[in-house]
Amino acid sequence: MNAAIDTTADETIAVLRDSIERYTAEHYSFEQRWSALRGARGYSERAWADYAEMGWLALRLPEEEGGMAAQAQGIAPLMQAVGARLLLEPILTSAILCTGLVLKRASDAQRAEMLPKLADGSLKLALAHQETASATVTSPVACEYRDGALRGRKLAVLHGDCAVRYIVSAKDATGRVVLCLVDAHPTGLARHSFRLLDGRGAANLELDGAAAQALGAPGPVDADAAALAESFDEAAVALCSEALGAISALNAATNQYLKVRRQFGKPIGANQALQHRMVEMYMLQQEVRALSLAAQRALISPGVERVRIICGARAFTCGAARRVASEAVQMHGGIGITDELDVSHYYRRLMVIGTLFGNRDFHLQRFAAACERDGVGSHESKARC
Amino acid sequence: MNAETCERAERLRAEIREFVRTAVPADILRKSSRHLMLDKEEYVRWMRALQSRGWAVAHWPREHGGLAWSAFERFVFEDELGRAGCPWVIPFGVKYVGPVIYTFGTERQRRRFLPPIITAEEWWAQGFSEPGAGSDLAALRTSAVRTGDHYVVNGQKAWTTYAQWADWLFCLVRTSRAERPQSGISFLLIDMRSPGVTVKPVRSMDMCHHVNEVWLQDVHVPVENIVGEEGGGWKLAKFMLVNERTYGSGLGESRFALERLRALPHRQGDAALAQRIVELELRLLALECVSYQSLSDLGTGAETGAEASLLKIRASEMYQDILEATVDALGHAGVAYDPETLHGEGPPPLGPDDAGGILRYHLYSRAATIYGGSTEIQRNIIAKSVLGL
Repeated sequence: MNAAIDTTADETIAVLRDSIERYTAEHYSFEQRWSALRGARGYSERAWADYAEMGWLALRLPEEEGGMAAQAQGIAPLMQAVGARLLLEPILTSAILCTGLVLKRASDAQRAEMLPKLADGSLKLALAHQETASATVTSPVACEYRDGALRGRKLAVLHGDCAVRYIVSAKDATGRVVLCLVDAHPTGLARHSFRLLDGRGAANLELDGAAAQALGAPGPVDADAAALAESFDEAAVALCSEALGAISALNAATNQYLKVRRQFGKPIGANQALQHRMVEMYMLQQEVRALSLAAQRALISPGVERVRIICGARAFTCGAARRVASEAVQMHGGIGITDELDVSHYYRRLMVIGTLFGNRDFHLQRFAAACERDGVGSHESKARC
Repeated sequence: MNAETCERAERLRAEIREFVRTAVPADILRKSSRHLMLDKEEYVRWMRALQSRGWAVAHWPREHGGLAWSAFERFVFEDELGRAGCPWVIPFGVKYVGPVIYTFGTERQRRRFLPPIITAEEWWAQGFSEPGAGSDLAALRTSAVRTGDHYVVNGQKAWTTYAQWADWLFCLVRTSRAERPQSGISFLLIDMRSPGVTVKPVRSMDMCHHVNEVWLQDVHVPVENIVGEEGGGWKLAKFMLVNERTYGSGLGESRFALERLRALPHRQGDAALAQRIVELELRLLALECVSYQSLSDLGTGAETGAEASLLKIRASEMYQDILEATVDALGHAGVAYDPETLHGEGPPPLGPDDAGGILRYHLYSRAATIYGGSTEIQRNIIAKSVLGL
């Protein structure tokens, strides 16, 4: 329901959606995914190269630089596929969030150097921001950037194990938040890699004088902090789409299972108790879909309702995801808890999604604050349209 | 939805707000915003105030006196009225039977029945449910036997809202015993003044009189009062039930009720209540987004056909929960109840002016998950139509 989306954009998005669905159906089935998951990297270099080939990694790039200048609505189908097919590659962190930060803040020289490599997949960027285990994104930054060097710790950096370079949030001598670029292997950077619950890699970084450069020229006060905050909103919206993909896939699997699994001489889906629970899962999926779309619109049209809708969508989605995932496992019975079945992989992915870039509690608090501040009754109708 | 649609909606909202400020009788708004009982005269004045702008039947086609509003405009209209604490737009004539008559009725029926619906001169009631036919509506037993140029109707209707005020009853009756129970049902318009019609009040747990039993004993109904074909009533009933579950979803009422809860002064700083309010806000945001999305999906191929069921389930349960939280927040004022004060005479025994009305709404809102297809029936519909279970 947004005037900014014209029909051409809609058609481009539809074409993109088709190509993503076709490719992932052919090359990224649950069975095909095993080798990537069990491999040393935890993802598929081959698939990553294909994504680059198909232009997915350049989605956000301006058209004159070979991209699609995709906004939230263009990113959504890709993130939905990430969830639906449990893609393991660093799409969110590199192609969406860090590419976004480069576009927002990098100098011309940095752009010229990085954008082509981001598009062709040779540069994997990861966002190093977390400094505690807490599932929030707004805690103060303690990592320091002084005289071209970084000192501090960054935790649970998504895809930090395979990133070639990091965008690190730090504070400069004046206490301002700055974004810095640091390569993965200079002296003064120790990386401790590990796997997340869903099999994707992550790393803790110890920065002890690692040589770094500021992302872009010093901008207006708080330009980097603002860009970072915008990235977190982008992450929230992207994660809603990813969760929607996973929820839809889980619901399709569970719905199907209710029809084929027979006990007591009839399909278990003949039981009204299970039907009504399945309906609940379906309704949650529809709500997540509507909220995701609203959050995408909110992201590109700044207004009073922006935080309320984005954080609300994210908080609701986290809750819905947990409910759907638990129910999917329960209704599948014993097989639902095995590693062999995709259901448990969706369950684990949804746990990770629910924690990255702020969990339900975090977003619910921001949502509550936005409700208080904005006096929701007055203008919500306008924001929906 | 495109920019033009949105701008039109915004203009409509502004018009409605202006209408509420200037044209809704103050005594009526005072009562409705406190959830007090309105009497028939007040409802009639309310419906006429709406129709002074053409809004009571704005969703009707122009040829029948409407403004040909889209589903979206109708939604915006009900949303704005709800937010402002306006009374219920009595649906029986304008929303239920009116569209059935102009869609399926004869020219004579249109000329006879539509004008007094528009002007609120005739009050309609709905004769669908029966003691043995609630969720299973097709099990209805009220019979209509053709005798010359009349049907002779015998049976009993249940839960008939405001039958005590009604001039006419639109009624589902059984005209034949077919193998499929749905096929023997016809749609009759019954004059409430006919001999043999008896209305017996049923007091609900809010101690008020909304619903009735309607007994029909050898009631003679002229054959020209059948709408559609004999035996074709089920199709009309389904058409009407779909209209009943429009995309309105009571968003405005829920917003009004939630704002009231937020404003209860003596509860500031109550963390448990604050948490409940936030969770309700989140559900309301979800309902809002789904409502707009459903309207936006209309006719795009993204429709599932089960939108109305989903909205009804979520909206009714949320409304109940908002009122429940409000009653809890009222503390002892949430259990002190004097039905005498619900008509506007004097304050409730305890608590703010609207405490009695809030409590009444809480009690009556228990019906919201039962009428118009219970939550369980709506879940069955989704299970069958969307999930193929």
